[in-house]
Amino acid sequence: MKLDMMFKKNNLNSSNSSSTEVPEGLLKKCNKCKAAIFADEVKENLYICPKCHGYFRIPAKRRIASIVEQGTFESLDEGIKTSNPLEYKGYEDKISSLREKTGLDEAVTTGTAYIGANKVMLAICDGRFLMASMGYVVGEKITRAIEMATKERLPVIIFACSGGARMQEGIVSLMQMAKTSAALKRHSDEGNLFISVLTDPTTGGVTASFAMLGDIILAEPNALIGFAGPRVIEQTIGEKLPKGFQRSEFLLEHGFIDAIVAREEMKDTLKKILDIHRIKSNNLCEKETKFASKTKKSVPWDIVQISRRKDRPVGTDYISGLFSEFIEFHGDRYYKDDSAIVGGIALFNGTPVTVIAQCKGKNTKDNISKNFGMPSPYGYRKAIRLMKQAEKFNRPIICFVDTPGAFCGLEAEELGQGEAIARNLFEMSSLKTPILSVVTGEGGSGGALAMAVADEVWMLENSVYSILSPEGFAAILWKDKDLAKEAAKVMKMTAGELLSLKVIDGIIPEPEQFNDTNFNEVAFKMSQVIENFLCKSSKIDNIEIANRRYERFRKM
Amino acid sequence: MINKILVANRGEIAVRIIRACREMGIGTVAVYSEADSLALHTQLADEAVCIGPAKSNDSYLNMENIISATVITGADAIHPGFGFLSENHKFAKLCEKCNITFIGPPSDVIKSMGNKTQARNTMINAGVNVIPGWNEPINSVEEGKEIAKKVGYPVIIKAALGGGGKGMRVANNEEEFEAAFNTAKKEAKASFNDDSMYMEHFIENPRHVEFQILADSYGNVVHLGERDCSIQRNHQKFIEEGPCVKLTDDLRNRMGEAAVRAAKAANYVGAGTIEFLVENDKDFYFMEMNTRIQVEHPVTEWITGIDLIKAQIRIASGEKLSIEQKDVKITGHSIECRINAENPSKGFRTSPGKITDLYLPGGKGIRIDTSIYSGYEVPPYYDSMIAKLIVHAKTRNEAIRKMKSALGEIIIQGIDTNVDYLYEIISSMETN
Repeated sequence: MKLDMMFKKNNLNSSNSSSTEVPEGLLKKCNKCKAAIFADEVKENLYICPKCHGYFRIPAKRRIASIVEQGTFESLDEGIKTSNPLEYKGYEDKISSLREKTGLDEAVTTGTAYIGANKVMLAICDGRFLMASMGYVVGEKITRAIEMATKERLPVIIFACSGGARMQEGIVSLMQMAKTSAALKRHSDEGNLFISVLTDPTTGGVTASFAMLGDIILAEPNALIGFAGPRVIEQTIGEKLPKGFQRSEFLLEHGFIDAIVAREEMKDTLKKILDIHRIKSNNLCEKETKFASKTKKSVPWDIVQISRRKDRPVGTDYISGLFSEFIEFHGDRYYKDDSAIVGGIALFNGTPVTVIAQCKGKNTKDNISKNFGMPSPYGYRKAIRLMKQAEKFNRPIICFVDTPGAFCGLEAEELGQGEAIARNLFEMSSLKTPILSVVTGEGGSGGALAMAVADEVWMLENSVYSILSPEGFAAILWKDKDLAKEAAKVMKMTAGELLSLKVIDGIIPEPEQFNDTNFNEVAFKMSQVIENFLCKSSKIDNIEIANRRYERFRKM
Repeated sequence: MINKILVANRGEIAVRIIRACREMGIGTVAVYSEADSLALHTQLADEAVCIGPAKSNDSYLNMENIISATVITGADAIHPGFGFLSENHKFAKLCEKCNITFIGPPSDVIKSMGNKTQARNTMINAGVNVIPGWNEPINSVEEGKEIAKKVGYPVIIKAALGGGGKGMRVANNEEEFEAAFNTAKKEAKASFNDDSMYMEHFIENPRHVEFQILADSYGNVVHLGERDCSIQRNHQKFIEEGPCVKLTDDLRNRMGEAAVRAAKAANYVGAGTIEFLVENDKDFYFMEMNTRIQVEHPVTEWITGIDLIKAQIRIASGEKLSIEQKDVKITGHSIECRINAENPSKGFRTSPGKITDLYLPGGKGIRIDTSIYSGYEVPPYYDSMIAKLIVHAKTRNEAIRKMKSALGEIIIQGIDTNVDYLYEIISSMETN
């Protein structure tokens, strides 16, 4: 019922004589959700819209305050003279008026600060200054900061936010890409850490130089990251781009960034990464690890069945059960991220390690997303990327192997599954850092070996490790895959048999029905094996470790 | 002088405020959510502005939009009603910044009374009795146990920002303390995103008596007697009455004086309520101050003859109180029942929907404050209270009978209500 017109109203001729008004700057409009929001609230909330949680660009000063310990930031290299190689009209005036308006020295602020107990070199772009485009001064400030960090062996953290090269400075801007990249190469060659944080937007010449060169690349959610701008691409190819194209999430899926980190969690995440890179291995002790020399079950086919059980703990269980402070790093930096392999850095009893696990799912949905534990070429490429990162930072590598085999499919072949596996065998053989591999379920063929060219290989009691599945073996040799049970008997694929063949180094016993309920029993023995391995390896020179690994496989 | 008021609320209280403005010749602006375009308040006001989608967070709690609506319509004041933004000091502060008169106390008073620890300290300094307890945040179980010993079991553990029974647990002895403390803390964190906790001696079966006060901007404070709100379900009041028959004249005077002292100590301006807990009908303790008009304000209006909404508006316009304490006379007895769209036989599950038939009682001494009408659809998004039935008679028993009779007449069809449940409770209160 519409009562509105029926009620008699007061009919006041209320002239709008009211003196109410919203003071200038109290309210602003969110450019994402279009809602009116209080400017102060946005500033207090890390420049995040309180309504839609969309991110505003954040001034460099506020960014620094949000990630470093209070009062520790010391600015560097202010007042470098602007270059105007093209003698571009009005450029210098534009720069000086921007300096006045923003209170910034240039589009990037550099300096040292502490994050937790870690001294770092920071470079923070500020989009208010000519969209933080990179001209001579920006390139020079970043390069000087990196050079100083190299000299002082400091980690470098660069928050990128840039439209790319600065057009007004022409070819000189282009050269800044090479200059900053070269400085980072020297920094990296000295074994130093560079964390690149990509924020909205990171495009053009900045993406194609320092922004993409991080040992670890983080991004804020939903940031635009790309080389060519979306409008340019659309005009060139005459097509509309899909939603989410060139956003952080898109890049994560395509393997180019390690992790997306919310602004609220940025400081904690940086601190965790820096801590893991700073602390040295903790007091490890040798442990008694002679648990068993053979399996309790004697029928190999029974063991094959157990190794494939759906309730067996999976790779992610070992990561969360045996390590602390795990940070997952995604992507192969070429094509895609593979969720069948989960890897990252963590602490094992206080010792920094790189941990990489082949992962089946905990349920059907999880299994589908993890492709039933069958890695694709980009999974192996991610694994070797993380292993090389471990080598650079002298972190031992712990691998968990559990795969029916490398994924067998069209895309896998197109992307070079064989090449990817071969590359891992090739590179792993000479990595100058200790590698321990534990087969926890199925050790299926080359797909397993690509993560098991290790100094020591251990197996869970009821896991298997073989040239291929018994079904496949029977089909190839006996033309009948129903003879798999017989095949299992002759293949020597169980832990006891492989220990006798010296393919593996030890067996970790399992309870009768190994599952989540008695996981800790196995995890404890496994942690003894890991600690013993880390302790022994810490006493051996890394070159010697690589040599011994060579000899280990040379004898096979 | 206030020419136009924006009513930042909905339901019966919005209607109540609009009516007061109509009588005073003040223009009214209603704000409404997308779900309330046909609500009574939307239609009764001179102007109405839609301030967002159905969810309270997007509409009735949307400060930005409410402020914008005020400026656009040229209203010079905001009446926040109760609930929603009525005790939000940030909102009151914003009004101050935008030169909008917030009909309520200044933002800093809302802030200091809203923080229970701070409110308690103010009262202690003003010489108002508080419940034996601890007015510092308690950080750990161990620390809490030590304090509990001093305060004396049973103790009640409460969130500093708590309300509505959330973040509140009783521990009868040391064994129960840890579990009670941890649960309350967790709840507080979830409900208020602040888990600073404090503790006090727990008064079993207390009487909940509150004093209405009025304070002008010139330091004049009067109290308008008390309301007894002891009948509660899940810490939510649903039957209130005044005066409280258990108070002796002496106790009433002492409590009234304490209430005035409390309001003065808080630098209060406007209509407010001091809540006390009365132990064994002889000792009383300050519990909290509500810095807004309350749901049960009609009880006081009836026993004192003072229109509290109009008084709020006059005080906000800068007028002096026209009465002194000696002018306040309590006459007869008044009872209020809250009628909710809920089903008592199904765990008080809320019952939104269309009201197909409606009959409301009337007659001498019967008042209904409501926003429902025949054909109105009760939306599922807001508080389930749809009407208040208030009666007034010479004696308590007469008032109870009047209430019983009136409840017996009410017909609300199409949705479930608690009317029958109220009828039973009121019947049980009848004596002789």
